[in-house]
Amino acid sequence: MQDISLHLLDIIENSVRAEATHIKVRVIRNVPGNCLRIIVEDNGIGMDSQTLERAQDPFYTTKEEREKKVGLGIPLFKQNAEATGGSFTIASEPGFGTVLTVDFHLDHIDRMPLGNLKDTLLGAIIGHPEANFDINLITRERGMEQSFHFDTAAIKEELGDIPLTYPDVIEYIDQSLQEGIQNTSMEEV
Amino acid sequence: MKTLADLKKIREKAQEEMKLRGGNVRIKIVVGMGTSGIAMGAREVMKTFLEEIANRNLTDVLVTQTGEKGLSSMEPVVDLVEEGKPKVTYGNMTPEKVKKVVVEHIVNGRVVSDYVVATGN
Repeated sequence: MQDISLHLLDIIENSVRAEATHIKVRVIRNVPGNCLRIIVEDNGIGMDSQTLERAQDPFYTTKEEREKKVGLGIPLFKQNAEATGGSFTIASEPGFGTVLTVDFHLDHIDRMPLGNLKDTLLGAIIGHPEANFDINLITRERGMEQSFHFDTAAIKEELGDIPLTYPDVIEYIDQSLQEGIQNTSMEEV
Repeated sequence: MKTLADLKKIREKAQEEMKLRGGNVRIKIVVGMGTSGIAMGAREVMKTFLEEIANRNLTDVLVTQTGEKGLSSMEPVVDLVEEGKPKVTYGNMTPEKVKKVVVEHIVNGRVVSDYVVATGN
């Protein structure tokens, strides 16, 4: 993975595979605190403590033997965060869901770029109409806070039976995310 | 600034169109979005499909994302599912190949055999 938003996409796919119907994504760029924090919270099937421990082991995967690659998604994300002096934590409860919090030190030379957050979110939202996404982007910088909130449940309600892949809807979501990312100065992080 | 009122207009327009041509989905596109697919560029493949759908105003296709498909040496992998026809799986996809598949397969109905890695179920 070349950037943080690709890791984020990988984590979102884990949530979907865990049958989550509600996925909260927070990206918090805290400049005075020198921290870039990603939080993904889902209401999927969750993991017991043993599975949780193994999820951070590079040689573990829940995918079937036949399709198996190594389950590198979570261990690589963890390694990339810890390489900046940051941290990686997962909390999970079987039957309730999983919360993953990843901190990167913003100014560390080994921190990978945030990357194309818009395409990650756009693909996930449209590619998984079965799940609702609640997205919050927050930037704290020079004593100011800018935030952007995007909840796909409201959009789906407004659209009724019109699919998210309808051309004008794709453009609507794309432009909304674009504006939110610009307003919170997340393009070049 | 985009508002929910914009969505209402989109909905009205889409409902008009559906009345004219019926609301059925002709082709379903499934983009493999497992860890190795993502590392090999599946996000850009997904994005290009969405762009092409919007630019060409394709109202009868559906795009979804799915996990690993067991074809990791051929990632990114994309399935095209059409009713009454065998499933076509394209491999080693790039944004350029996506554009060709959209024109040839989705618009003109001709499978791009050079990119096919599997067919059937």
